[in-house]
Amino acid sequence: MTRLSGGLIDRSRTLSFTFDGKRYHGHPGDTLASALLANGLRLMGRSFKYHRPRGVLCAGSEEPNALVELRSGARQEPNTRATTVELFDGLEARSQNRWPSLGFDALAVNDLLAPFFTAGFYYKTFMWPKGFWEKLYEPAIRKAAGLGSLSMRPDPDAYERGYLHCDLLVIGAGAAGLAAALTAVRSGARVILTDEDFRPGGRLLSETETLDGARASDWISALKAELESLPNIRVMQRTTVFGVYDHGIYGAVERVSDHLAEPGHRVRQTLWRITAKRAVLAAGATERPIAFADNDRPGIMLAGAMRAYANRWAASPSETIAVFTNNDDGHRTARDLAAKGVHVAAVIDPRPEARACADYRLIAGGIVTGARGRLGLTAIQVQANGKSEWIDCGAMGVSGGWNPNVHLFSHHRGRPVWNDALQAFLPGEGGPSGLLPAGAAAGCFSTAAALRSGAETARSALQEIGIAARLPNLPCADEEGYTIAPTFYVPGKKRAWVDFQNDVTVKDIKLAHAENMRPVEHLKRYTTLGMATDQGKTANVTGLAVMAELDKRSIPETGTTIFRPPFTPVALSVLGGGDTGLHFRPRRLTPTHYWAEGQGAVFVEVGQWIRAQYYPRVGETHWRQSVDREARAVRRGVGLCDVTSLGKIDVQGAHAGEFLNRLYSNMMATLKIGRVRYGLMLREDGFAYDDGTCARLGEDHYVVTTTTANAGLVYRNMEFARQCLWPELDVQLISTTDAWAQIAAAGPKSRALLDRIVDGFDLSNEVFPFMACAALTVCGGLRARLFRISFSGELAYEIAVPARYGHALMERLMELGADLGATPYGTEALGVLRIEKGHAAGAELNGQTTAAMIGLGSMVSQKKDSVGAVMSRRDGLASDKRRLVGLQPLDPAGKVVSGSHLFALDAPRSLDTDQGWITSACYSPHVGSMIGLGFLENGDERLGEVIVAANPLEGESAHLRVVPAHFVDPGGARLRE
Amino acid sequence: MLIPHPSLGPRDAEEFTYLGDSRLLDRPDPNAPDAESAFCDYVFLRDNPAGVHRELWFHEQGDRSWLVVTRDTVTHQVLGAEMARDVALARKGSGA
Amino acid sequence: MSELRPITALGAVLPRFGSFGALEIRENAAMALASLALRFGTVEPMPFGLILPGPGRWVAGQGVAALWTGPGQWMIEAECCIELDFAAELKQAAPRCSVTEQTDGWVAFEIISRAGAIPLEALLSKLVNIDPADFGPGRATRTGLQHMSCFVVRRGDTHVVVLGARSSAGSLWDALETAAKRLEEKVT
Repeated sequence: MTRLSGGLIDRSRTLSFTFDGKRYHGHPGDTLASALLANGLRLMGRSFKYHRPRGVLCAGSEEPNALVELRSGARQEPNTRATTVELFDGLEARSQNRWPSLGFDALAVNDLLAPFFTAGFYYKTFMWPKGFWEKLYEPAIRKAAGLGSLSMRPDPDAYERGYLHCDLLVIGAGAAGLAAALTAVRSGARVILTDEDFRPGGRLLSETETLDGARASDWISALKAELESLPNIRVMQRTTVFGVYDHGIYGAVERVSDHLAEPGHRVRQTLWRITAKRAVLAAGATERPIAFADNDRPGIMLAGAMRAYANRWAASPSETIAVFTNNDDGHRTARDLAAKGVHVAAVIDPRPEARACADYRLIAGGIVTGARGRLGLTAIQVQANGKSEWIDCGAMGVSGGWNPNVHLFSHHRGRPVWNDALQAFLPGEGGPSGLLPAGAAAGCFSTAAALRSGAETARSALQEIGIAARLPNLPCADEEGYTIAPTFYVPGKKRAWVDFQNDVTVKDIKLAHAENMRPVEHLKRYTTLGMATDQGKTANVTGLAVMAELDKRSIPETGTTIFRPPFTPVALSVLGGGDTGLHFRPRRLTPTHYWAEGQGAVFVEVGQWIRAQYYPRVGETHWRQSVDREARAVRRGVGLCDVTSLGKIDVQGAHAGEFLNRLYSNMMATLKIGRVRYGLMLREDGFAYDDGTCARLGEDHYVVTTTTANAGLVYRNMEFARQCLWPELDVQLISTTDAWAQIAAAGPKSRALLDRIVDGFDLSNEVFPFMACAALTVCGGLRARLFRISFSGELAYEIAVPARYGHALMERLMELGADLGATPYGTEALGVLRIEKGHAAGAELNGQTTAAMIGLGSMVSQKKDSVGAVMSRRDGLASDKRRLVGLQPLDPAGKVVSGSHLFALDAPRSLDTDQGWITSACYSPHVGSMIGLGFLENGDERLGEVIVAANPLEGESAHLRVVPAHFVDPGGARLRE
Repeated sequence: MLIPHPSLGPRDAEEFTYLGDSRLLDRPDPNAPDAESAFCDYVFLRDNPAGVHRELWFHEQGDRSWLVVTRDTVTHQVLGAEMARDVALARKGSGA
Repeated sequence: MSELRPITALGAVLPRFGSFGALEIRENAAMALASLALRFGTVEPMPFGLILPGPGRWVAGQGVAALWTGPGQWMIEAECCIELDFAAELKQAAPRCSVTEQTDGWVAFEIISRAGAIPLEALLSKLVNIDPADFGPGRATRTGLQHMSCFVVRRGDTHVVVLGARSSAGSLWDALETAAKRLEEKVT
C-alpha cells in the first residue's frame, strides 16, 4: 500500500470500487486516480497510437493519459479522466485501448513499428490503392488507434439548461479566486464563484504551506462558511466555465450528479449561461513536463501532481521517488514527500546553482536521460558532471515549469505574451472585454502574490462597473519566489514524449521541421500535437519550444498557443440541455386534440403542431381505407376537420386595407365588409410565398390566415412591412391563431348541419353566399365567427369559437350531424380533397414557383404595387411557361409518384428535355385512380396529351394524361350552390 | 451577444432573429423607370463589411420590434441600437 | 350562456394545480385577456382607470391589470369575466384603439412560493434568461422559455405568472413541473 498519513480524505468511511474488474477501496475525498495510486497501481491506460503503457501524469483536468471508461450499460462513458472522477461506492472503471488486458496488450506491437508511424504517416502511407482507405485502412486504424467506446444506447440521464446573472464571475476558487470572491462579496456585489473541483481551494489544498500560521484548509473552511452565509454569492463547485462568449456571456457546465452512482431524479449535468458584467479569470496554472527518453513510463508524473497526491490525497505512487526539475517549485515535492516518509532517491536539477530545500540528495547540473520499467518505473538514468548513473525509484516527479491557464483569455483571439523570467505565456492584450486575469493565471505564482492579485483584480473589475470595494485583510502567506531555467527537453536518440495523449515525440517535431511544417498551425495538424481531449494543456508550450530551438528562433517568434472553447470536454448531452424526445420542441395541440384522441385518431407532426392525420374505424386495416372513406364523406355528406393550426393574424387600423394591398398581390382594400377573399403573397424576389384568406370584419378590421407552416414567418414579414417599409401606415397586428378553435365543415350537407347550431342566423345562399363571413352566436349564445370558404371544392364553411369551446363544438357537430353522415377527417383526406380540387399548397408553393405557374398570374394586380410585384414581371420569371396541370395515369391501376420528372412521350431523358415535375399525388376516390398535380412546360396548352413521368429513384416510369388541375367541379358550381 | 434594446435594455441575442443589412429599409420606388434594376439590387445585393455594419434584428422572442443595430462584425462590439421604425420614418421624412 | 361546456388548455374540466416543495403552480383559467394597441393620433387611454405601464412593466388595478407587450401595445387582463365579451368591454373603454380578443390565445400558470423569493427565482433561473435583480414586482417581459414564446410577469415578490400559447400548454406545464420537481431534489 502506498497510502500516506494526513490528507483531505475521510478515513472514517471506506468506498469500494472496481478497476478492470478487480475490487479496490478508497475514501470519500479521493479521485479515482488517487485511489488507484493509494492501492499501488501506477499503470492506468494505453497510449493512443503506440499502445504504450501509461500511468497518471497530472492531478487535474489536464490529464492526458489516465482516461478510463466509467460505469456500464447505457451509462457507460468513455474517455473520463481518472484525475477528475470523484470516487463513489460501487464505481466501475475500465482501462481503454488495450486487448486483451491492460498489462498485456496485443497492439503494443505498434510500438515496435513506430518508425512507420511517425508524424504525418497517414498522409504518406495510405494513398493507394484507391478505395482502400474507406474499406480497409480507415476501419483498421480506427480499431487500432482509439480511445474508449460508446454504449451505443440512448443516454438515460436528464440534463437541463439554466441562466444566471451577476456583477462579478470569479472563475476558479484557488487562492486568487477566493480572495477575489471575498473582496467582491463584501462590497455587496452579486458574485458567482465557480470551480471545476469538488472542493474549493485550488492549489492550496495540495500544499503544506500555512496561512496566518494555520493550515490553509482551515482558512478555506472559514472563508467558505462566510461566503455560504451571504445572500449575494453563489458558490458553484464541480462547475467548469468552458467558454467565453460576446458581451460577458460565459458557458459553464455543472456536474450535478456525476459523483453519484446514479442521479436518481436529479439531472446529471446543467448547462449554465452566465451573464456577468465582469469576470476574474483565476484559473491557476498547469505544470508542464520535460521531455526525455522514455519519459512516459508509468510512475513518471508531474512534480506538482505528485505533491498533490501526497498532501491532499495521502497517496504516493511509490515508496521511493525522484524529482527532475528545472525550477524551484519541483523541490517542494521532494521536501513534502520526504516529510511524509517517502524515500527521495534524488532530485535532479539542470541548474548548477540549484539548492536543496530539505534533506535529500541533490544532483545540481544534472539531467535525466532515460527510464526503465515498461509497466512501471524501476530506475532512471542520470547524467551529471560527465558521468552517467542509474538510480532506482518507482516514481519520479518532473517539472518543466508552470503555464498560466490563459485558455479562456484567448477565446476571443486574445494573444498571450511570452515572459522570459517565468518561461511562460501570460495573458496579453486583446482578450475578451470584461475578463481580468488574476493569480497564477496572470503569472503571480506565490500564494501571497496570488491572494493580493485576486483581491486587487476584483476591486478594479468592480470599480469599472461603479461598485466600490475595499481590499480585505488577507492572510499572511508564502512570498517565495520562483526561478526557472529553460530546459524543455533532453536531447537523445530515443523517443522523448512531448504530447502524451497523441504520442507526439521530439522526433516527430524534428520531422515536421525537416519537412517544413514549421508554423505552429502546421505543426499541430501534421503531428497532431495538442489535439484530442486534453488539447495539449501539458504539451503545447514544450512542442513550441522544441520547434523554436530547431528553427533557431525564440519562442515568441515561433508562435503562441491560443485556445478555443471548450476548456475541457463537454458532453453533447448537456449541450442539448435536455431537448430530446418529447422535449425536442414544444408540441402544439389543437383544441379538438383530446376529442380526436378519444376517436382513436392517428396523429402527424406538422411543424410543432400535432394534427389528426386520419380516424381509423373498426375493420379498416390500411390507412388508405380510412382516408378514402373520409374524403368520400366530404363529397357526399359533410366532413369536419380542425383547421386551427392555420395562422390567423388580426389586422386593424385606419390603413389596414392599404397595408394588405401592399402585402398581397391582389386587391384587399376593395373587399366589402362581411366578405372574404383568397390572397396570394409573393416574396420580394417575385416568387410565390404564401396563400390564405383575408376576411374583412369591419371598416378597419381584417383577419388574415396563413398556411400552418408559414404562420410565424408571415407574421415576422408583416411586422417588417409595418415597422420598416411603411411606418407611415396606421396598422396594428396581433396573432390570434391560438385564440380561436376553427373547424371546417365541408360537403353538400354542411349548411344543413350548421343550420342546427347557429342562433337564428340565415345561412341561405342569398344572405350568406360563397366568400361571406360574419360574427354570430351558436349553441345558445356562444360567440363565433363563420366563414364560407372552401378548400375541398364543396359547399363548405369554417366556424371559429373561443378555443376552450372547440372540443365541445366538435362533439355537438358530430352529435347533431349523425343523420347527415358527419365524419371527422384528418390532414390526409384534407390533402386528397385539395389535390382533387387542384388547389395549390406547400408542395406547389415551394419557393421556386411563380403566381403564373400555379395558375394565379391574373391575381398579381397591375394596378398597384405590392411586395414582389416588380420582380415578378422580370424576364426570367415572366417567361416561365410551366403551368400547373392535373395528371392521370392511362392505366387506372397505375401509379403517380410526386417528385417524378415529366418528359414528352418520345423524348430522351435529360436535363435539356425535362419539362417539369409532379408536386403532389394521391389516390383519388372521386376519380377512382391515382392522380397528381405537376408543373409542365406550356401545360395549359397540352390538355389531353400523354406524357412520361420518370421516377429514376425507383427505376420506374409511367404514362400520364395531362388534364385540368381541377378534377372536381371545374366550374366551381358546388362552392356557390 | 447582448443587444441594447432601446426600450428594454440589454437583451440576449438568443431572443432575436437576424436579417442583415439595414439597406432593406430602403425599398425602391416601384414606379421609377428603373424600378426593376433597383429592385434587383435591393433584393440580391448586400454589403458584408468586416467592420462597422448597420443591420436589422427582430426581437421575435420579445416585444416584436425590428431594430437597427450598429455592430462591428470583427469585434462584435455593438455601437448602438435604434427602433427600425424610427429610422425608417426619419429617412422618409428627410426624403432620403 | 351557451349550453356548450368549455375545457381548460390542458384538456380538463378543472384547472390544474401542482405543489412542489415551497412552490405551487396553478393554472388560471378564469382570466379574460384582450390586447390594446394605440392607433395614430390617439392619446393613451386609461381603460378601467389603469395607467398603462411603460416598457417591461405590469400594473394592477381593481380586478384588472395591464402588461406592456410592445411599443404602443398592451395586454389587459381581467378577473372573473371570462364568459363576457371582454374585448368588447375594453373597446368601449378605449374606443380609439385597436382591441383584439386574446382570452383563449393563452394559458396562464400562476407560480407562488410559500418560502420567499428564493425558490421562485431558482425556478426562473432554470427556465428563462431573466436577471432577477432586474425583475422585481411589477416587472414583466416576453422571452423564450424552452423554445416557447412566453410572457413572464412578476405579480409580487413571491408570485409570478407565465403566459404561454394555449396550444402548447402541455409542453409549458411540463417544463414548469419538471423544473419545479428538480428543485425539490437536494444534491448531497
